[in-house]
Amino acid sequence: MADATAVAAAASSRDPATGLAAVASLRTLLESLEELQVRNARDQGWSWQAIAEGLSVSRQAVHKKYRRDIA
Amino acid sequence: MFERFTEPARRVVVLAQEDARERAADRIGSEHLLLGLCRATDTRAAALLAARGVTRAVVEAELGAPGPDLPDRAALASVGIDLDEVRERVEDAFGPGALESTRAGRGRGRRWGHIPFDRGAKKVLELALREAIRRGDRSIGSEHVLLGMLHTETGRAMPLLAARGVTLARICAALDEPGAASG
Repeated sequence: MADATAVAAAASSRDPATGLAAVASLRTLLESLEELQVRNARDQGWSWQAIAEGLSVSRQAVHKKYRRDIA
Repeated sequence: MFERFTEPARRVVVLAQEDARERAADRIGSEHLLLGLCRATDTRAAALLAARGVTRAVVEAELGAPGPDLPDRAALASVGIDLDEVRERVEDAFGPGALESTRAGRGRGRRWGHIPFDRGAKKVLELALREAIRRGDRSIGSEHVLLGMLHTETGRAMPLLAARGVTLARICAALDEPGAASG
């Protein structure tokens, strides 16, 4: 973790490069966490419908996104 | 190969592997081992390095940021998210390397699982063993990995350390001071 002043400076920065890089990294992190959680839910026997409801998306969306990688 | 490594020294190797993966490197180099030493903050080697101004931030600044498509620690920190904290919690639940095992976490050029050591890093580990034997120590600790790194032909770590006055002679002298613990 960078030191607190550097983080505070970056967080209040209006430099688009800083802000956009943060959003891009958040998206990558989000995708990773979603995949881990979907896999875990399937391992525990959750239906695609139940997972979709948990994620607040349609069953088709979640199934289409993960059916090739997750049983 | 790692049977004789202490728990902290093993952790250094695991952290080096994580860093190499995060940086989408296809080999673990001595610079990744150095980052591992700096990240394992409770070790003897990390204390020796920190006392000489060699910290994780310094080494990361030398190595540059990971590729733009990888989750960037600094970028996430700018919105108040500590990637290491997230990784730690995710690994508690789903095991080591969980984030990197996902499609998004792999990124472009990112690898699954094991990343091999490059020639310099292998040399560091061989020399760590030799240093442990030379010093009459039964196991290989983080300080031996550091000593191993301070020889020539070990890649990027040594010049980086030499530029900050961290040399083999000085670290040997520091380790010989009374009260120098292993780890």
